[in-house]
Amino acid sequence: MTLQLTRRRLLAVGAATLFAPAIVRAQDDKISVGSLTPNTGGGGPFGPNITASHKRVAEAANASGGILGRQIRVYQENSETNPESAVRAADKLINVNGVSAILGTWSSSVTLGIMPKCQAGGIVQMCTSSSSDIPVADEKGLVFNFQPLSPIWGRAIGNLVKSRGIENYGLMALNNDFTRSMMDGFIEIVGTDALVLDPFFYNAQQSSYRSEVTQLIANNPQAVFVPSYVTDFTAVYKELFRQGYEGTVITTSIATGKQFKDTIGDASEGIVHGFPVPAINSPAYKQHLGEAGLEDTGSVQHPFGTAGRDQMTTLLLAMEKAGATDGPSIAKAVWDVTTGDGKTAVYNLADGLAALRAGEEINYSGASGSIEFDEEGMVLGRDFQLSEIKGGKDVVIERLEF
Amino acid sequence: MSAYLISMATYAGFFMILALALNLQWGLTGMVNFGIAGFYAIGAYTSGLLSAKAGWSLGITIPFAMLVGLIAGGLVALLSMRLREDFLAIVTLGVGEMIRLVVLNEDQITEGPRGLRIEAQPFRDMVSADAYPLFYLCLVALCVAATYLICERIRTSPMGRTLRAIREDDVVAGVLGKNVFRHRVQIFAIGGGFMGLAGALYAHYTQNISPEVFMPMVAMFIWMSVIVGGAGNNRGLLIGAGTVIMFLEGTRFIGDVAPWLDAEKMSSLRIIIIGLLLIVTLRVRPRGLLPEPKFAYRKPKEAG
Repeated sequence: MTLQLTRRRLLAVGAATLFAPAIVRAQDDKISVGSLTPNTGGGGPFGPNITASHKRVAEAANASGGILGRQIRVYQENSETNPESAVRAADKLINVNGVSAILGTWSSSVTLGIMPKCQAGGIVQMCTSSSSDIPVADEKGLVFNFQPLSPIWGRAIGNLVKSRGIENYGLMALNNDFTRSMMDGFIEIVGTDALVLDPFFYNAQQSSYRSEVTQLIANNPQAVFVPSYVTDFTAVYKELFRQGYEGTVITTSIATGKQFKDTIGDASEGIVHGFPVPAINSPAYKQHLGEAGLEDTGSVQHPFGTAGRDQMTTLLLAMEKAGATDGPSIAKAVWDVTTGDGKTAVYNLADGLAALRAGEEINYSGASGSIEFDEEGMVLGRDFQLSEIKGGKDVVIERLEF
Repeated sequence: MSAYLISMATYAGFFMILALALNLQWGLTGMVNFGIAGFYAIGAYTSGLLSAKAGWSLGITIPFAMLVGLIAGGLVALLSMRLREDFLAIVTLGVGEMIRLVVLNEDQITEGPRGLRIEAQPFRDMVSADAYPLFYLCLVALCVAATYLICERIRTSPMGRTLRAIREDDVVAGVLGKNVFRHRVQIFAIGGGFMGLAGALYAHYTQNISPEVFMPMVAMFIWMSVIVGGAGNNRGLLIGAGTVIMFLEGTRFIGDVAPWLDAEKMSSLRIIIIGLLLIVTLRVRPRGLLPEPKFAYRKPKEAG
């Protein structure tokens, strides 16, 4: 069967395509918010959780009558953890759906990639990225980062492992901005004298890391620190195991999730890993677990989903406070509702709205952390946790609380 | 909505230039190139770096990006021209990845994984901010038109006949006295130059490029454009590039009409639908939307 392409058919198809978006074009007076999360690719394990949190908060807001008397409509898009595709997705969110904010970007390259468009359109961005370029590129003050920049991760992990009495290290990092700046922070704490060789970078998506690992453990360091993502760390760790390395392996918890443990099995015993964690003793975290239908196990769940809850809650509270839905007004109000002493502490949207409507000043404290922003829109502090894999489970060694 | 259509049309424009270049190399001459993303990166980074770091004006950097793409294309062709089709595919795929890895690791120059911010945009001061996207689309359209005319001229010229002969059987073309080697290097270099142009236009449009943009997936999109449009037919692949962008972007609207789908299902469904649309298109139009016209020998009118 082959289809003849006549001019008439072409015209019909063209006309149909032009009219198709009319279904979507039917806009009402809802407030549009974009949720651009990594649902496939490197951030695939985290994206769906973030966007689910966004939707939950928006649904709760709608059920209680909306914000500024208007309903919230969340438009979800997949960033594919790739800036090339994410820019087009952001374009659709801004120009078709008319969103006033884009929440949930995860990889720094995506956050930075869509930034020129967002800045031009006056769109607020809320992300969990860690590149130190983000505050520099954000010239209009529209970006809020719900995750500490990665040098802070490196310093925190450095402090935690140093207190375990390890004296010398081998260092190699995945070659991306997140892991590179983490390594810098780590070196700041342990000092260059503690390194048995010059730190170096490896490239993602190699099928084998044999020569890199051989180089890493050549001088037999007591511990190796490998900031990485799950796919490459799995390959690196297999090689470390194969070459019989007996020291301590340190990495980020992003790399050692369920997917890693399922692949590696018993051999994962003894890996030490750390990352910023939700404030698991805070009322907001416990409420988040309830909203998401999870049991409180006392350990970290939804590391990025909690940030998603905080992003949407902060955004909606800021809208209510500003009495407007344009980017610059919202951005200004974000500090008002999250940062500063002597305000009423609130842990969820409903309480926050009630307090705002009663004319009180509020400070939202979230599930991912206390959510205080510096003047550049970067979150000030997060709890940080170091764990060790024992018997296939993460056992908390130490937690730094902010 | 119209702002969105303008920006999608601009992206389609980048794809069209890349597809025209690939059609020159593969559709017309039969040289497989899987390294499109690499040449695209060369153009983007040449123009981006020269304007952002050296402060050159875009009137020089964009032609320079084409020149560097042209030279890179020529060099790759010189090094690999004795290889047969399938091996050329491997070499070009390798070259594309090599370029990306160099950009990633030479971070003193290229800013590596941090990505390069580019402020400069062509004729930015002369056009108001509101009209600029439309202006940029016109600029890209002009470049597409120029590329199309050059490609079309090559196709219909005697050189085009030689290229088709090389594609069908290079030995026969060589026996007939055609310089197969020179033609191949020329065409690969010209293709590289056009890809460089597309890269430069892309860089100044998005104003933020990083090595992750130039993954081999870009090459696949361009191959889809050429195959869907009809290999060998320049007009067809303009439609092909538009169709691929339409498939990629149109499927995003499923989420808006079906908001009850969760993010994971939505994302997977979208990728499945893109695949299905491509398969269906090729099932009903196996030789592409506008196939290359078959050569028909017309007997000249009897003399006298």
